[in-house]
Amino acid sequence: MALSERIERNVDLSYFEGKIPVNYVYTYGLGLENFFRSIKEKGEFLASKCPECETTYFPCKVFCERCFAEITNNYKVPGTGIVESFTVCHLNMDGSKKETPAVVGLIRIDGAEDCVFVHFLDISPEKAKIGMKVKPLLKRKQDRDGSIFDIVGFKPM
Amino acid sequence: MGQRVAIIGAGMTKFVRRAQETGKELAWQAAKAALDSCGLTLKDIDCISMGCAPDAFDGVHMKGEYLSDGSGGWRKPYMRHFVGGGTGVFAPIHGWFHVASGVFDTCLVVCSEKMSSCHPHPQGAFKTIFDHTTEQPLNPTLIWIFALEYNRYMQTYGISKRDIALVSVKNKKNAIDHPAAHLPMEITVDDVLNSELLAWPVNRLDISPASDGAAAIVLAGERTARRLTDKPVWIEGVGWNLDTAYWATRDLAYPRYVEKAARMAYEMAGIKEPKKEIEIAEPYDPFTYKELHHMEGLLLAEKGEAPQLLVDGVTQRDGDRPICPSGGLLGVGNPISAAGLMKVIEIFLQLRGEAGKRQVPGNPTCGLAQAWGDLMQIGTVIVLKNR
Ligand SMILES: [Zn+2]
Repeated sequence: MALSERIERNVDLSYFEGKIPVNYVYTYGLGLENFFRSIKEKGEFLASKCPECETTYFPCKVFCERCFAEITNNYKVPGTGIVESFTVCHLNMDGSKKETPAVVGLIRIDGAEDCVFVHFLDISPEKAKIGMKVKPLLKRKQDRDGSIFDIVGFKPM
Repeated sequence: MGQRVAIIGAGMTKFVRRAQETGKELAWQAAKAALDSCGLTLKDIDCISMGCAPDAFDGVHMKGEYLSDGSGGWRKPYMRHFVGGGTGVFAPIHGWFHVASGVFDTCLVVCSEKMSSCHPHPQGAFKTIFDHTTEQPLNPTLIWIFALEYNRYMQTYGISKRDIALVSVKNKKNAIDHPAAHLPMEITVDDVLNSELLAWPVNRLDISPASDGAAAIVLAGERTARRLTDKPVWIEGVGWNLDTAYWATRDLAYPRYVEKAARMAYEMAGIKEPKKEIEIAEPYDPFTYKELHHMEGLLLAEKGEAPQLLVDGVTQRDGDRPICPSGGLLGVGNPISAAGLMKVIEIFLQLRGEAGKRQVPGNPTCGLAQAWGDLMQIGTVIVLKNR
């Protein structure tokens, strides 16, 4: 093999700054529109089940990735679940240190067990455990805006 | 199948934290080195297969087009492909389609990545691989995925962080003998465990560095390969497979998609007992535990037992089954697509007996490289043989 050898100068390279100047307006889509509207208006969590292969989805979906069937029916689940895994994050996006470490969990949702949901865990890092039961913590109704943050996080039951 | 395909040449740049060269200049250096290594020029090349990571890393949209000149694409059939971190091992598979089909006789496969243009680092680009409605608002970093998977893997099989940290010790040490290495080091398990905690259980030294770099190989059909070299290395099996689009819902303790990709490649290569027949392997190791996780998915170790092979020294360069003799991503560095192709090049060199100080003993005849990517649920696998 040939290897191209070159001088490495890590510190004194000249550079100029740039960015990709784009902003986005995302739609929720057919499935999540229902999901977030239900939380905002009724405080209820919607899951769905594929009519053909019975795979469950949380949040609710309009099609099944496994068999491609259309899903037209949603059902309510309590939003509770089991912690499948967790991590304790010490850094912000820009690499700076967080003042308070954030606990992030993967939650297998009761009543939609094929699905695992990612969100913050409202618990001190040393108390977090794989296998613990948790429930969602919702904002007060008047404060909800139909986003993922209507769920503040999940806390131990 | 149209024809058998061999790798006949390879080249790469040094992997560094921040290269002065642009992405296309890196691509050209690696591509030219690969052509030189087998005595060919661009005129001898029928088509180009180019692999690179998300456009956002270079901050150049339609990056495949941008990198086309450095990759040798001028007035040739040129195609860019991308499967996230899996790209580097998908690259030779993609090139293989072109030649195995019989449509082309030679193909130049180039992977180039310039991660350092992202300022201060690429986490902002990684954030936008997550679902825009349910996940991006939480400000996820890529490390979350690995930390969550790492924790689940340990819990499921009762593995300790101490055993997993040995991967970093082994690979960074192996990289000392790699002339392109970005982060070769002699370190101890305690150095890994005491390095900065990023997202428990992931410490700084559990992670490969973001690097700039490029790698390239030359593929040829059987007759041409035999005419050009005495030591063709044959692509005997290829496989790739994608798991669920909802990353959190896949099996975190076991990479089923890697197993499916491996089984596809093994079947094509006629491999019945991978543990016996795969003599040397370069599984994808962007994080320490992933080398072990992937060995299990590749059926090179029983579930949960890869750490014991590591502890027993089986996976050392002079062990019974050397794993990541190059130094891997942890040691050689991680310019995403180029890192995967670096692994393929390592197996190519090892099977030719040309790996220099890194050469494993015993004249291996069959090896494997594997990468992992997309939303952390694709496996790409290639099996190479020297006869
Ligand atoms: Zn279905």
